[in-house]
Amino acid sequence: MSGEPTLHSRRTLTLRFDIPISKTREFWDALKEGKLVATKCTKCGTVSFPPQGDCPKCMGSEFTWFDLGSEAKLVTFTQVQITPASFVENDPYVIAIAEFPGGTKVLAWLEGVGPETAKLGMKLRVESRLPKEGSPYYVFVPA
Amino acid sequence: MTRVAIVGVGHSRFGKRTDVNVAELAFESIKGAVEDAGVDKKEIKNVVVGSAGGWYEESLPAVIVNEYAGLDSVGTMRVEAACASGSAAVKSAYNSILSGEGEVAMAVGVEKMTEVDTMTSVELIGRAGSYMWEFENYGMTFPAYYALYAVAHMNRFGTTEEDMSRVAVKAHHYGSMNPYAQFQKEITLEKALGSQVVSWPLKLYDACPLTDGSAAVILASEEVARKLTDTPVWIKGVGYSSDSANLSRRSDYVGLQASVEAGRRAYAMAKVAPEDVDVATCHDCFTIAELMAYEDLGFCRKGEGAKMIREGETEVGGRIPVNLDGGLKAKGHPIGATGVSMAVEITKQLRNEAGRRQAPIKNGVGLVHNVGGTGHYAYVTVLSRN
Repeated sequence: MSGEPTLHSRRTLTLRFDIPISKTREFWDALKEGKLVATKCTKCGTVSFPPQGDCPKCMGSEFTWFDLGSEAKLVTFTQVQITPASFVENDPYVIAIAEFPGGTKVLAWLEGVGPETAKLGMKLRVESRLPKEGSPYYVFVPA
Repeated sequence: MTRVAIVGVGHSRFGKRTDVNVAELAFESIKGAVEDAGVDKKEIKNVVVGSAGGWYEESLPAVIVNEYAGLDSVGTMRVEAACASGSAAVKSAYNSILSGEGEVAMAVGVEKMTEVDTMTSVELIGRAGSYMWEFENYGMTFPAYYALYAVAHMNRFGTTEEDMSRVAVKAHHYGSMNPYAQFQKEITLEKALGSQVVSWPLKLYDACPLTDGSAAVILASEEVARKLTDTPVWIKGVGYSSDSANLSRRSDYVGLQASVEAGRRAYAMAKVAPEDVDVATCHDCFTIAELMAYEDLGFCRKGEGAKMIREGETEVGGRIPVNLDGGLKAKGHPIGATGVSMAVEITKQLRNEAGRRQAPIKNGVGLVHNVGGTGHYAYVTVLSRN
């Protein structure tokens, strides 16, 4: 059942995607300035994170940018030991969901604490990271 | 409106199947289901194939599978609802009979997950969320998604790593009695608790394996079902729901709202309550998922899932035996096949054909709970002898 001879395919396939970000371009610009922003619908006031140019509540397409602030509290987390193929170079990393005042939640890496030291409810600060290659991203660190 | 019954079931051996390609693997369960139903395969006009795909070489599994099995000119499609693709296939086949489109239809679930290397499989499943906001920069994995729920559940209700390991011990116990299961060996609590951490606090023995496998069910209208079999198993209720792609948009992390909704809808349609259920399969892709399912489906109150497993309430002899086929944990979890495999198991249980792992059947009611992704999709199907 297992261990039988197989044909190892000669044709390989590598996928890289060009992902449109024009509707949320300001998000990436703000991140470079160290700010984490969400969209706020002009018509109904709904705040969306991840940011989106079209309101999921009233379907309006006009919005302003809303600064989430830098302080949040830890809602839940995990430490990834077995990584996906494209993250094999990484040491184990902590992924967290944190909640900002106002209720918006964000998922990101949590740096500086591990399973032994992280406590649900603890105060976190958001920081941006600007790698030499690839897109900027944001992380949480203990406040 | 006609009633629809399961009249035939088929199941392949689950595991690492280097001896068969995707069509050959599907054939094993299709043949089994056709023989079990005693139906001429020419009567099957609609074949719905549940498969997530991406880890095997074929891009169009439905036509590959049908060609190999000689299911010529059938109406067909592949459906995807992540790990609930199998239940989505059953639902689609069921709807085709209800609508009067045909009298006999088949749902086939098939997946070959081991033709690519393990890390690539981990990558493909890890992308099953919101790629841009969860994977691109943060490398989510499937265990990581459920670990976020486990940590919240442990913190809120005092559920422990040991409680989760008990689910694995139960799964392996029943898996040892299932000749189709990937793992047919008992394990100890110590072995489960001492296994490698995959995504803290979840360990290797909290996680289902990568699996190749297939399962098939043949459905028929009441008129045809009565002619084919003395033991039709009726589809009495189908409920389904979904939740946000981004986990950060969920209100809480101690249960799956899609499961709650799907369960409510299925119970209402079938006119049954959780306490009427004789036997169930719950989606245990991770041990924490099974504990949350007890709660989300109303088998116990919120927060009491761990108590149920500690007190043996979901074993044979308990209040609601769950996953007597070994569950995803020990039987294996070939993504698209799982929901169909669950329907096969509950059909066998309700026909009293499950042998050593048979549950006592009092009300003739069984339940299939199948989750796609991390509560992204949920399907609940109520089956009945009556």
